[in-house]
Amino acid sequence: MSHKVGCTHCHLEFNENVMIVDGEHYFCCKGCQGIYHLLKDEGLDSFYNKAGDTKLTPPTQQYEDSSNFNSPAFYDKFVSINNEGFSDVSLIIEGIHCSACVWLNEKALHKMAGVMSVNINYTNNKAKIVWDDSVLKLSSIIDMIRAIGYNAFPYDASLQEVRANKERQDYYLRMAVAIFASMNVMWIAVAQYAGYFTGITQDVKTILNIAEGVLATPVLFYSGWIFYRGAYYGIKTKTVNMDILVATGSTLTYMYSIYITAFERGEAYFDSVTMIITFVLIGKFLEVLSKKSVADTLDIMSNHVPSSIKVVEEGKIIEKNINDVKVLDIIVVCSGERVALDGTVLEGEGNFDESNLTGESEPLYKQIGDKIISGTVSIDAQIKYEATKDFAHSTLSNLVSLLEGAMSNKPRIQMMANKISEYFSAVILGFALITFLVWWFWPHSFERSFMVGISVIIIACPCALALATPVATLVGLGLASRRGILFKQAAQLETMAKATTLVVDKTGTITQGKPRVVQEHIYDGFDRSLLYSLVQNSKHPVAKGVGEFVYQEGINNFELQSVKQIPAQGISAEYMSKMIFGGNAKLMQNQGFNLSNSLDPKGSLRPNGTSHVSENSEFYFAFDGKIVAKYELFDTPKVDAKESIKAIQELGIEVIMLTGDHQKSASKVSEEVGIKIFESELTPEGKSLYIKKLHDAGKVVVMAGDGVNDILALALADIGISMGSGSDIAIDVSDVVLLNDTLTSLSDAFKISKRTYFMIKQNLALSLLYNAITIPLAMAGYIIPLLAAISMSFSSLLVVGNSLRIRAGFKK
Amino acid sequence: MDSWVIAMMLGVSIFLGSIALVAFLWGIKSGQFDDEQKFLNAVKFDTQEDLNDAVDQEKKAKELKKKNYTPE
Repeated sequence: MSHKVGCTHCHLEFNENVMIVDGEHYFCCKGCQGIYHLLKDEGLDSFYNKAGDTKLTPPTQQYEDSSNFNSPAFYDKFVSINNEGFSDVSLIIEGIHCSACVWLNEKALHKMAGVMSVNINYTNNKAKIVWDDSVLKLSSIIDMIRAIGYNAFPYDASLQEVRANKERQDYYLRMAVAIFASMNVMWIAVAQYAGYFTGITQDVKTILNIAEGVLATPVLFYSGWIFYRGAYYGIKTKTVNMDILVATGSTLTYMYSIYITAFERGEAYFDSVTMIITFVLIGKFLEVLSKKSVADTLDIMSNHVPSSIKVVEEGKIIEKNINDVKVLDIIVVCSGERVALDGTVLEGEGNFDESNLTGESEPLYKQIGDKIISGTVSIDAQIKYEATKDFAHSTLSNLVSLLEGAMSNKPRIQMMANKISEYFSAVILGFALITFLVWWFWPHSFERSFMVGISVIIIACPCALALATPVATLVGLGLASRRGILFKQAAQLETMAKATTLVVDKTGTITQGKPRVVQEHIYDGFDRSLLYSLVQNSKHPVAKGVGEFVYQEGINNFELQSVKQIPAQGISAEYMSKMIFGGNAKLMQNQGFNLSNSLDPKGSLRPNGTSHVSENSEFYFAFDGKIVAKYELFDTPKVDAKESIKAIQELGIEVIMLTGDHQKSASKVSEEVGIKIFESELTPEGKSLYIKKLHDAGKVVVMAGDGVNDILALALADIGISMGSGSDIAIDVSDVVLLNDTLTSLSDAFKISKRTYFMIKQNLALSLLYNAITIPLAMAGYIIPLLAAISMSFSSLLVVGNSLRIRAGFKK
Repeated sequence: MDSWVIAMMLGVSIFLGSIALVAFLWGIKSGQFDDEQKFLNAVKFDTQEDLNDAVDQEKKAKELKKKNYTPE
């Protein structure tokens, strides 16, 4: 055969004889060829040097007409006008594989007249485009992106996401100032401490104090602003939070130090001020860093909704905006299209993929009078149906709104550190006040009493306390991510450690997600190649499973005549003018085969041949008037399922399996992997109700799933875990993603979070213990600035060092 | 006498440091570090041609702005 060559544009390799030859270049399709010439004409062909060997997606998809991007309704929703009068849109660009792709998109758009600025984020493929709407329309921008081989769809850059980014940037700025200043203050402080022990003249000391004061000022009032704000809200809601302790402590210390500097007596504590603010700010920042935004999820969800649909009106088919379609309108769905509204079939028949909603891979056959549900995809059906609900009330949009509700009502377990710090702050402020009063009435000068009181606050400064949780979780997260477990939010480690119940989805989570042949019966006259050729004609998962099983080196793919798909039964074809059939028992019966004879040794056949309710799916293969083979297929559990489930149960966690599948296969799977409790034939809402029930019983629930049918449950559970191969929405909704899809990583996730939580507790205990030793010393008046600084750093180091121990026990 | 040397050196070094700090803050504010991948990849696309394009783009944006402000 001929050798393989790469397409000049997309670099995918195909046989030479199927490629389009264009001079010295080869192209895999017209699309690639078109793009290549476009880039060359536009002078953008240096893209290929930049892209190197990166494989791109060939532009084979057909897109809907871009002119509906110009509709006022669309502009209303996605386009905003900035204060200079230019239009502003956020797009997600599909098909970006490398930095050269970003370069090409930015370049091509920059070349268009009227485009002001294009900024594409490499990491999340989101683009922000500013343009002059009087020069060109949004549709031309989208057309350009499509012309160069990518696709773009707009998203609502909702406030949440913008706010999250702003907050993060704000923290960066404040931290940069704080770290800069405290590093410099520490240098100066070295001179101070050296002077404290070896002698220092008062004027040098004052100069050093002033320099420290200058550096501490922006730290306290700019970087520390966050604590003042937090303290204000704390007072407003009448709770003593850590912010109040930090704010009062650092402010009092700062003022006292100014007084010392001005009157040239005693020791200034400017270094403590900067250190407190910097350490606690870092701890706070680590928490902010790991907050996830809900906004992204719903963007992708709405991408699943077709924006326009074909409606029959007065004998003609016209395109209508989805929101304009009314109940009783007649809608046309072609094969491969997604159903947007619920309805009843009026004309036509065919298979629908409902895996989006039910999670089960078997397509469902629909004919006249059957209900079809929005969100499902037509596989081979060409039907007309009558809308029974408008878009706002259809299943798909219901799901979206249910999801929004579930995400905002997610139960939040109060973090341990927050709980402790509430009491801690109040106690410390109380101690400081008592110390001051006791010293003052026990005749001492006001100055001395004030200093001792402040030293209590300084020494108790919750640096270690503030770092205890974030640092430990960060180490835990790093450990987890190295094993393919991505926690989206640090706090979830703690929640997961407190989990009492694990709920798992069956298909795709415990099982492989596609049926495999578990038993093969071969009779006389069987021809492997013939069967292989037959199943190649079907996209049905059972046929695919059989095809995979019978495939071997050197198998032939015969050309078959008059191949026919018999919906919900199988396929028939002709080979050398002999009939061949492949399908379930019903097909065989309809074709007049006798299944109850000796062919089936177990006699497990049911009269109506509804093979899909047995534990195993059956596939019969008939050739020339007799059945020559029978296969039993079963969606087998993943190899590590049993072991991992056992490991999780040993951690004292109850494991429950929920599935949309029927009872028989559910019980078989649960028995095989050792799960005692399971529920079958559940709808997506059914699953989420089950989770709610567990919540009501006071359980902390972890849900693991992979499909769109699990998203409600995932969103509602305390922790949602999705498989990396799962649907995009499931990944977005969940809190944890298992990149390698194995159940071993699920049990690892539990182990790591438990270990991390244990370390958090130990850290908190350590920092409290440290306070228990130093606070009495401070109250007795034995604390000098050096001791305060050293103990502060030491306790923080202790907590960080202890956190690193999380890794022990997780070798590899 | 020597205390003035200390004061001067401290002042100068803090001043120089704060210039670097301000430059860094400006970098954060103008979004230069928002996309770390792009930030790193920018080195690859730093040819003369790319610089010229950036200048052209800025000019174009300026013209559009000017056009927008003139009353019609």
